[in-house]
Amino acid sequence: MKRASFSNLWMPVLLLLPQVSIIFVFFYWPAFEALKSSFYLQDPFGFSGTFVGLDNYFTLFQNAEYLRISLFTLVFTVCVTFFSLALGLLFAVKADKVIRGASTYKTLLMWVYAVAPPVAGILGVSLFYQGHGLITQLFAFFGHEFVIGVNYYDTGFALIAVSIWKQVPINFIFFLSGLQSVPRSIREAAMIDNRSSSRRFWTITFPLLAPTAFFLLITNITYAMFDTFGVIDVMLRSEPGNNPMTLTYKVYVDGFRGGDLGGSSAQSVILMILVLALTIFQFRLIERRIHYT
Amino acid sequence: MSLRKLLAAGLAATMFSTTAFAETNITWWHAMGGQLGETVNKIASDFNASQDDYKITPVFKGTYEEALTAGIASFRAGEHPNILQVFDAGAATVIGAKGATIPVEDLLNENGVNFDINDYIAGVRYFYADADGKMIGMPFNSSTPIMYFNEEALEKAGVSAPKTWEEFAETTAPALKEAGYIPMTQSHLPWIFTENFFSRHNLQFATNNNGYDEGVAEININTPEIKAHFTALKEWKDAGLFEWYGTGWGDNQKPFEEGKVAVWLGSSGSFGGLKEKVDFKFSATLLPYWEGVTKEPTQTFIGGASLFAMAGKSAEENKATAEFFQYLTSPEVQYMWHKETGYVPVTEAAYELAKKDGYYEESPAAEVGIQQLQLPAGEWTKGYRMGFYVQIRDVMNREYGRILTGETSVEDAFATIEKESNALLARFAKTQG
Amino acid sequence: MAVTDTFSTSPPSPAVTTKKRFRLKRETVVDHAILILGALFMLFPVVLTLMTSSYDNLAFARSGLQFGWSDQFLENYERAMFETSGFTGQIDGLSMLKNSLILGFGFAIGKIAISMLAAYAIVYFRFRFATLSFWIIFTTLLLPLEVRILPSYEVVQGLGMGNTYGGLIIPLIASATGTFFFRQFFRSVPEELVEAARIDGAGPVKFFIDILVPLSKTMIAALFIIMFVYGWNQYLWPTLITTDEGMFTLVRGIKNIIQSFTDSSSVPEFTVGFALTMITMLPPVLIVIFFQSWFVKGLTESDK
Repeated sequence: MKRASFSNLWMPVLLLLPQVSIIFVFFYWPAFEALKSSFYLQDPFGFSGTFVGLDNYFTLFQNAEYLRISLFTLVFTVCVTFFSLALGLLFAVKADKVIRGASTYKTLLMWVYAVAPPVAGILGVSLFYQGHGLITQLFAFFGHEFVIGVNYYDTGFALIAVSIWKQVPINFIFFLSGLQSVPRSIREAAMIDNRSSSRRFWTITFPLLAPTAFFLLITNITYAMFDTFGVIDVMLRSEPGNNPMTLTYKVYVDGFRGGDLGGSSAQSVILMILVLALTIFQFRLIERRIHYT
Repeated sequence: MSLRKLLAAGLAATMFSTTAFAETNITWWHAMGGQLGETVNKIASDFNASQDDYKITPVFKGTYEEALTAGIASFRAGEHPNILQVFDAGAATVIGAKGATIPVEDLLNENGVNFDINDYIAGVRYFYADADGKMIGMPFNSSTPIMYFNEEALEKAGVSAPKTWEEFAETTAPALKEAGYIPMTQSHLPWIFTENFFSRHNLQFATNNNGYDEGVAEININTPEIKAHFTALKEWKDAGLFEWYGTGWGDNQKPFEEGKVAVWLGSSGSFGGLKEKVDFKFSATLLPYWEGVTKEPTQTFIGGASLFAMAGKSAEENKATAEFFQYLTSPEVQYMWHKETGYVPVTEAAYELAKKDGYYEESPAAEVGIQQLQLPAGEWTKGYRMGFYVQIRDVMNREYGRILTGETSVEDAFATIEKESNALLARFAKTQG
Repeated sequence: MAVTDTFSTSPPSPAVTTKKRFRLKRETVVDHAILILGALFMLFPVVLTLMTSSYDNLAFARSGLQFGWSDQFLENYERAMFETSGFTGQIDGLSMLKNSLILGFGFAIGKIAISMLAAYAIVYFRFRFATLSFWIIFTTLLLPLEVRILPSYEVVQGLGMGNTYGGLIIPLIASATGTFFFRQFFRSVPEELVEAARIDGAGPVKFFIDILVPLSKTMIAALFIIMFVYGWNQYLWPTLITTDEGMFTLVRGIKNIIQSFTDSSSVPEFTVGFALTMITMLPPVLIVIFFQSWFVKGLTESDK
């Protein structure tokens, strides 16, 4: 990176000061606190506590329920990521192809991006309502008694469905812009070489979209793990019960509902390590992407 | 807000500002939503109108869990209210944190308010007390689980409300099912079918004197009586004699209100709301017991919540809090609260007043809760005290749900509850040391 | 078959072209069908909720979501907006809307201002610890607020910032997405511009205000939309940090809607709740639709 620069002693410090001070107070300090309190068992009021070393972590790994929640989080993340990517891609390919109404379709397929996850959760609650929710009735028509909040798998299905709905638009937007940035010459050449449109897609278009897809993969995993909090909290109506939940929701349940600061902090640290691994992976991919282009 | 209201408010503000110099303001955080919250507001404004020295402001803080979390956080930030409402499951956390609250007994004595624990009805005396029997939290909205029933349904089926679970299983439920009803639902498995299962049958719930004594308590849950109860519950559900709509309270109450379910186990505090919503005749009776477990059923625990006076406030404010507690426990206020909401009156005097007023002759169902709390006491009926109990309840809810949906067996579920609860209790003990 | 034989000999066969055109047409029909289904899939839940918000509570309680239109629409929206509820009597849709706007604007403006300054320092200045500051800032991309939520809450409470707009907004700004975005953009600005400015004798402040900011207009607009929507839609953080009803945002209010759905002491206000849900959804959706091209540009540029 060669760039003509100003050299001024105090100016950059001044410019960076707001950002860096906010980051120190509201990022590094809390992150450090999370690490620290994961080694303690503390009275929520702050009167007493015991240093317990790694006990909070061992407790988690020995807890069958924590492993079960991890497994659900995995299934949830895979399903949400896969289906929202697939639907986003499908709609993007079609919207790129049609001539009539292209911009209308584009608008209609992307606006849900602006819907807040808990709002999506409320829509989900009403569609999957016990007894007379529309989708509940649809299931009843096919002979399955769908009961959200009772049946673990039904509840899991509803959470996944709503989370997918919320995530399709962003994938659609990225895929569509990826498709539209494919140079015309390549498209035309492909048209001539390959008559079958599905083969053309898999041999030419899809590889060109791969960098976008990689980027979206990480974005979607992050979404499924963290940003679905609102969907889950609203759809479970703050009653964990025997319902499925994600690891992020569990951090909240133990820390805020249960007052178990140490256990909740240990879970936070585990999530931090997970995200860290994911981001390093992402940075390496981006680096390679730069080599590609 | 209309202009007139605005002007009125402004006028009121200037009027108050002239008298405000002598007034002590205190705040009260609570978790009473809906109609209950309106009654709380009424108590507060009546108190404010009754004298000129103190002014209390009630603030709604969401669910019980949220109110407790908000209270703890505010305490750490030094911005806590004078009075915090804490529900039964949170009692151990608050009572365990000794510097966080002023025991209500001390508060009242120090501020010249007469206090005698025997003024309170038997069932509520020791639930929020410490191991020595000193009252720490002031019992406020006290309820107990009772059995509501749709009178029309029972009549149609030709049965009466069951006294024992044996009677329910053999006579009541089959007849109700025959008559086209779902015989029973309940709204809170840990509260109704666990904690109060132990007190109703006078069984020990936890070691160390149900958790009141020092040391690490262990829960006594993996025991034959309660396992038999849940085995029966699962059989009833499979036979269509019992239905479960999930962990949510309202989801299980709703079908009763709609007349689909004949018998509903809920809180005595639900009485006020039911009376407003339901258009059929209903009544209530004591929580059934297993004759096979005991021939002498005992009283149940109180549920609901109590008020804690938080520490770190000025003497004047503490005095105001004490005055408010005195007002709150006066027979008239308790009777009003009891009548409006269905929660039990916490003092003997208020109960006497309600009887004298003929309230129970006109609605006998309103007396069921307090009658149940006045039943003979047993060794294990004064309460329980376990830390991280919110999480222990979450574990119970989870495992009970799995039993009822057939995902796990009763044996495995109770073994899991025992293991996880004891781990939580051991962890809680370390937070206190 | 004889007929086929005769046709196959004539060179540009009309049958083949019609067949091909037909096939093409069929493919287009399928494409449109998929797109229409997709659009319906996205619209369906919202339209149903909108329609149901014109009914009374009993309609939903009895038979769930409604197809059609009833006469309670205005009343429900009026109540959602203006009826004070809560227990302090100071909360209505309007006050929540105000808080949502403050959060959305405050967050977007704060984030853009702070990250533009930081990115300017990183890209245009040569100074000691430049690499260090870069890493200090960009490490924040690694950890979303959700994973450090409990200690963040403690820190903000400890600073006495609970139930304040500062406590609501500033911790959300503590991440580097905006800085990263502007860093990428500034690096694409031709170097000659700085040279020219220096020759003209313009200092760093003048260069920033007179050249860089005007150049970044589209980028600022694009980022503004994204950040506004992001801020408006925050749920977990406002839920924790605002316990005072007067500070609730619309999205935070969703929690109360859902609680009122399950509240057993009175008939739940379903349709007013749906009306408030629609009000919560509308502003960010409209912004995204109207400023679509900026928004798409901002979104897709940010990953490069």
